[in-house]
Amino acid sequence: MALRDRVRAGDHRCLRQAASIKVLTECEARQLSWPRRVACLVRRQCEAEQVIIEADERIVFTRTLPGVPAIYSPDDWARMTSGRTLHELGPVSNIAADWGLLLTQGLLGRRQVALDTRQRLVEDPKGVEFLDCAIETIDAVLHLADRYAEQARAMGSENLATILERVPARPARSFHEALQSLRLCQAVVWLGGNYHVGLGRFDQYMWPYLQVDLQTGLLTIDTAEELLAEFFISLNKDSDLYPGVQQGDNGQSLTLGGVTPAGELAVNELTLMVLRVSRDLALIDPKINLRLSAQTDLDLLASATELTRIGLGFPQYSNDDVVIPALVEHGYDLDDARDYVVAACWEFIIPGRGMEVVNIGAVSFPAAADQAIRTGLSAGDDFDVLLGRVSENIDQQVHLIADAYSRLLLPPAPYYSVFMRDCLERGSDLSNGLKYNNFGIHGAGAANAADALAAVKHFIFEEGSISPQDLLSALEADYANYEHLRSRLAGEGPKVGNNDDEVDQLMVRLYTDFAGACEGYGRTPHGGILRPGTGSAMYYIWLATGHQGMREPVVGATAEGRRSGEPLSVNLSASLGVPVRGPISVLQSFAKIDYRRVFNGGPITMELSDSVFRNPESIHKTAMLVRIFAQLGCQQLQLNSLNLETLLEAKKHPEEHKDLIVRVWGWSGYFCELAPEYQDQIIARHYFGS
Amino acid sequence: MSCMWCHNPEGQSLEPLVIRSPAGERIAGKVYTAAELASLLNQQVDILRANEGGITFSGGEPLLQADFVAEVIDLLDDVHILFDTCGFGGEKSFRQLVNRSDLIYFDLKLIDNKAHRHFTGCANDLILKNLQVLSEMGKPFVVRVPLVPGVTDTDHNLAAIAQVVCDLPGLMYVDLLPYNKAAGSKYRYAGMEFNPEYDEAQTLNINTGIFKRAGIRVNVV
Repeated sequence: MALRDRVRAGDHRCLRQAASIKVLTECEARQLSWPRRVACLVRRQCEAEQVIIEADERIVFTRTLPGVPAIYSPDDWARMTSGRTLHELGPVSNIAADWGLLLTQGLLGRRQVALDTRQRLVEDPKGVEFLDCAIETIDAVLHLADRYAEQARAMGSENLATILERVPARPARSFHEALQSLRLCQAVVWLGGNYHVGLGRFDQYMWPYLQVDLQTGLLTIDTAEELLAEFFISLNKDSDLYPGVQQGDNGQSLTLGGVTPAGELAVNELTLMVLRVSRDLALIDPKINLRLSAQTDLDLLASATELTRIGLGFPQYSNDDVVIPALVEHGYDLDDARDYVVAACWEFIIPGRGMEVVNIGAVSFPAAADQAIRTGLSAGDDFDVLLGRVSENIDQQVHLIADAYSRLLLPPAPYYSVFMRDCLERGSDLSNGLKYNNFGIHGAGAANAADALAAVKHFIFEEGSISPQDLLSALEADYANYEHLRSRLAGEGPKVGNNDDEVDQLMVRLYTDFAGACEGYGRTPHGGILRPGTGSAMYYIWLATGHQGMREPVVGATAEGRRSGEPLSVNLSASLGVPVRGPISVLQSFAKIDYRRVFNGGPITMELSDSVFRNPESIHKTAMLVRIFAQLGCQQLQLNSLNLETLLEAKKHPEEHKDLIVRVWGWSGYFCELAPEYQDQIIARHYFGS
Repeated sequence: MSCMWCHNPEGQSLEPLVIRSPAGERIAGKVYTAAELASLLNQQVDILRANEGGITFSGGEPLLQADFVAEVIDLLDDVHILFDTCGFGGEKSFRQLVNRSDLIYFDLKLIDNKAHRHFTGCANDLILKNLQVLSEMGKPFVVRVPLVPGVTDTDHNLAAIAQVVCDLPGLMYVDLLPYNKAAGSKYRYAGMEFNPEYDEAQTLNINTGIFKRAGIRVNVV
């Protein structure tokens, strides 16, 4: 495992170049259009890459360029984007390519498609320009591969040189070639400034190559696992250069299992191999998603649970029984729906066919509820009128986010387009849209909001044991000098996570309102719909503390006894500090959401104490829990196993716990590389986890 | 009982207890009527039954409120019941709960009565008596031994336990439970003092051989 440890220690980083290259001068001197600037950027980045091959490496490419240079001057960029909305950093992110296109056709095959279309579209200058840009980037990657091949030959690595002379230019013929082709081509997407570059249905598009190699005896299970391990290690080499809200939030996710587009069971030997290799490596990339159904084999779930047991925080589970019908109901073709993958965190997306922006913002349920509570109690509303205010607030938030994204400006991505369906075939950049062009909105803090509404209903409207004025004053004072009231609100009354209909139905109502608002919005100017989701992303912190440039409202003290600034519940989980009646009651609470309408994704997030796994039957029992999740009709689940003492220790002595992995919101990262507020929220989750 | 190494000290009191920790305040323990608790548990019974699951009554100590626990079990729909006990209680209470259970986890800590009194605060006569009762009742059971460094993990004590349990019909296996170093952390939060008279850092003697030689299946969990 020497290679793994070297990469983890970051030994290769000393090979990086000191500074980013500059391409702005060339772009301006040649007065290039935007697409041509992007193509120029990709080409120049490839040209500037230095070839790095370590003696024992069989899957190569190590990035040496530290950054992605600007292609417009700040002034020009400000002018171009004025009045428009950029998604996060700007470049297209968080979508899934169809890597099967690369493996089956090779870059030369894709290049030929571009040339054929170019001939057909010769009268269409935009189309021609896009295709020329795509070809420029393809040629740049081919040239980079040639340089790698030459170096391999010069070093006497004949086998590697032969592979690099073959791929990514031509279709892969073996598992090794397929992995090498994918490594290089995926890395160049990052190099061009796109990010959250997912790996799609890895066990589907890779399996034919492995299957042949195993049949012909070119590989054994053991040698195949070694190659796969090297590929996975390579995905961890450059990840510190990838942009994300926190280190580790990089979207290098892959999806396993499920069904084929024709509806057949898609699990194969590679599915299990990925789980084994990932368990043995214990690295944060790639992040693993497993598709399942209520019928899924318990042995497969047990293999997946092995990863949970060692604390990787993945796999994340998605329930085909729930996800596929919801996608179909919202206009996805059945064969496409069956081909879904999970994007960076949890959002469902169709590889090669979706230019979907799955995370355009978040509805803050706590802000919607809190504003209604404060206004409604002041105005002397009854509880139903107050709930009406909540619905209105949610609707307004949806409109605010969606209206901003009606002005969305997506930069061209000619290279990324090479791996999408129909871009080269139609002569159109992916930023102009693909088959599916929907937007997703997170729905954050539902447990807090439902608990707050339930507290108001219970203590004020039903018991009459707290007066509206006392609650309003306490909220205004952020509970200073109202500790007794606060602890009653926090400690008593119904709470989400306990399968208690009184509060769960309030949560369900929040999501129904949210779905109604999205449905009522209709189609966006990008030709898609709004998909409401159950994830929180980083908003469980941001909505409580505020964040620069954030569109979403910040919420202060809330009626479930939460003080201002305290984090909200992450994704679908009980409010922090709420004791729940066990994992099944949590699943039962969240099973009540109508996932046919709330279908952008966002997992039930559960913390298991690592002591659970001391028992020899624990793997089987946890697999059972995952099956129950599916049986109950829940949509998505992530399980985290950790020890509270270890977390506290790691905070005190980070240097001794560098490899400690935790699940953050929809991804796993190294605990010691997280900002303190994220560390503390995880500690609080574990403290109260049962 | 009040074992010196108890890692759920908040479960020793019969009344709800306030726990104050850096993460906030919470109340450990909640008052339910038997009907309320049974109705909550019955919400999950179908799922548990369909997935090889069941309901465990543990502690604290179920024997401390045996009539209540028996009443709850009687109100439950058909489901596998596990009774996890220290065995310290009247024979009538003990029989009452064993009769209603499908599987029993029975803790044995120390065979030497003087040491038992010192470390757990009570004599072990009742416990050993109940173990015999259990065996005669014919229900399957597991004997669980918490390994406390230098106290329960000595060869002498383990051999004595092996001798007591080796001929008991109904014994499925013995579970050895390695010492939980986090045990002490909760005392302060519960407003209690943690004063172990043993060295927590001492390496445990996990001697499974003693049990194996006596023909007893043994696991370390």
